[in-house]
Amino acid sequence: MTTWMKKHIQLIVSIVLIGSILTAFNAHEVHAQDISLHTTYTELSVPPGENIRYSVDVINNTSAIRNVRLDVTEAPEGWEWSLRSGGWDIQQISVKPNESWSINLEVDVPLQIERGSYRFVLSANGGEATLPLVINVTEEGSFQSELSSNQPNMEGHADSNFNFSLELRNRTAEEQLYALRAGVPDRGWDLRFVVDGQRVTSVQVEPNATQTVRLEVTPPPQVEAGTYKIPVQASNNNTTAETELEVVITGTYDMELTTQNEVLSYDIRAGKERNIDLVIRNTGTAEINDIELSSSPPANWEVTFEPNRISTLAPGESTTVQATIKSAEKSLPGDYVTTITASAPEVKAEQQFRMTVETSVLWGWIGVLIILAVLGGIYYLIRTYGRR
Amino acid sequence: MTEQKQEKTTHPFWVMVQKEMSDQIRSWRFLILLAIIVLTCIGSIYGALNNIRQAVSDDSDFIFLKLFTTSDGTLPSFFTFVNFLGPLLGIGLGFDAINSERNKGTLSRIMSQPIHRDSVLNAKFTASIIVIAILFFSLSFLVMGMGLITLGIPPTPQEFWRVVFYTLVSIFYVAFWLNLSILFSVRFRQPATSALSGIAVWLFFSVFYGMILNLIARAIAPSGQTTVDEYIRFQELMLGLQRLSPSTLFGEATTTLLMPSVPTLGFLTQEQAYRYIPSPLPISQSLILVWPQLTGMVAATLICFAVSYVLFMRQEIRSR
Repeated sequence: MTTWMKKHIQLIVSIVLIGSILTAFNAHEVHAQDISLHTTYTELSVPPGENIRYSVDVINNTSAIRNVRLDVTEAPEGWEWSLRSGGWDIQQISVKPNESWSINLEVDVPLQIERGSYRFVLSANGGEATLPLVINVTEEGSFQSELSSNQPNMEGHADSNFNFSLELRNRTAEEQLYALRAGVPDRGWDLRFVVDGQRVTSVQVEPNATQTVRLEVTPPPQVEAGTYKIPVQASNNNTTAETELEVVITGTYDMELTTQNEVLSYDIRAGKERNIDLVIRNTGTAEINDIELSSSPPANWEVTFEPNRISTLAPGESTTVQATIKSAEKSLPGDYVTTITASAPEVKAEQQFRMTVETSVLWGWIGVLIILAVLGGIYYLIRTYGRR
Repeated sequence: MTEQKQEKTTHPFWVMVQKEMSDQIRSWRFLILLAIIVLTCIGSIYGALNNIRQAVSDDSDFIFLKLFTTSDGTLPSFFTFVNFLGPLLGIGLGFDAINSERNKGTLSRIMSQPIHRDSVLNAKFTASIIVIAILFFSLSFLVMGMGLITLGIPPTPQEFWRVVFYTLVSIFYVAFWLNLSILFSVRFRQPATSALSGIAVWLFFSVFYGMILNLIARAIAPSGQTTVDEYIRFQELMLGLQRLSPSTLFGEATTTLLMPSVPTLGFLTQEQAYRYIPSPLPISQSLILVWPQLTGMVAATLICFAVSYVLFMRQEIRSR
């Protein structure tokens, strides 16, 4: 807002200055011809991309109605202009005697332009009256945007995130709103543009300013090792900037914890031990180091592993660990959950085991013995007292 | 030839058992007891069937077992009735086993037959047990049949076996009271005395024992600051005292057998419940859980029998 106002104040001041100098020359012309063209600001300075609207008075000095054909006879190459009045694109107007009619000459200053002075000539009836106009382009318009990254290549594992820092430089003369687009290398990739901690899809950049945009790249978990290119584009209708980023995936970390026959429920006697052959498989594409085994068993249960630690496991390989689960003496009959975790710094595999506790049948046999003893006593009684 | 074979196959003991059974079944006393038990059980099953929809919507496992344990609030459930009326049946069948024979003078007449002396007692016991077994199996299977008709779902094998074991436990429970009353009938000359003493024991355990335990609990309850261990010890002591009552033993046994989700008969500590998944137990585990209770009941039954056997064998039998 402030810059817009500043620009216009500058413009008006310069127009007034130049205009006042040229007034005398114009006034002299009015009397000389039947038809004369007049505008106040005949020389002015603008930045590239500016839209200039000249208000031109077509003056009929005669006492008869005159048809005036209007044309721009001289214009710099590549400049857009139009003559408009009353909402129409006009070629010819008719002016009443001793009156004037106001038309607009609209000139679009191109964005890509050299610095310098440019000349327009508006002529009426093929040279009967001419109005030379000078437009000074005050600065050079490049009309380009630049998108660059200091580090366009990154390497990492499949489960790591890549944060690219992108610099978006607006070299155009105007404030630009860029739509940000990044090409996904494959299905499942998650790409996010972040500006000031917020996810964005477009970003506004002041003329000649730089905006830092972060691109967060999350590869899919099952991505294969390789080099992936991510084309990034910041564009709008006027300008486009492109760059290409590269992500190198070194390998995935994935681990599976299961048992030899994939059975995950076991019976266990209360207070007794049970061995489970665990199988730890590296299902990723990278080597996993320092796998540690841990467990979260029910209260007073003990779980030990042999071996407790696996130093290295190559991709596709599996290894066997014997887990010994000792249940608590006072476990209830029924199902308990024991969670066993194999964890490496890179990856973690967890498995829940359903341990069905069976209580000891020892007391059952003792009960049978008690009943047998009583029955034996009765047999003894029968032998002693009966049958004699 | 055929006569000899006949004599060989029918042992005199089984003749006596048959005679006793027909006596029992034809007696008014048995018919009255039967009527009480059958009517109350039908009433409770009717209540359970009315309420089964609600019970099933709460927990849809073991629908058949719910027939035995559900009540509609007005009538107690089937197994509560069996717990309460079973002793009455046992006492009713046994209280005059020996002393009425003695008083009528028929005992010496039987003794004049060429049979062992203990056969009298054994035959009376066996006959009553067979009658009770037939009665209870009929009741259980009737309940299952009613369930089949009204629910339209067949019982699972596990449910079936749980009901069978429950019936066996009920028979043992009644057998205990039968033996106790036979013991009284041997000890006391008057049938009225033995019947009263049997009923007194029954009333004591079903009504007064709980009150006495409450008094004891109030007296020995740890007061003020108690540790968890102290409290657990107190509770375990009270539980142990409660289990002296045969009806507690029977109640625990039937609860475990008919409600498969009961994991323990004591109380559950936080430690035990950590990471425990409440799920129905297999029937073998339920049986192991109630095995001490079953042992206690069977042993008590057998001890009663042994005592009455000794008393009977030592008694003099005179003709009047």
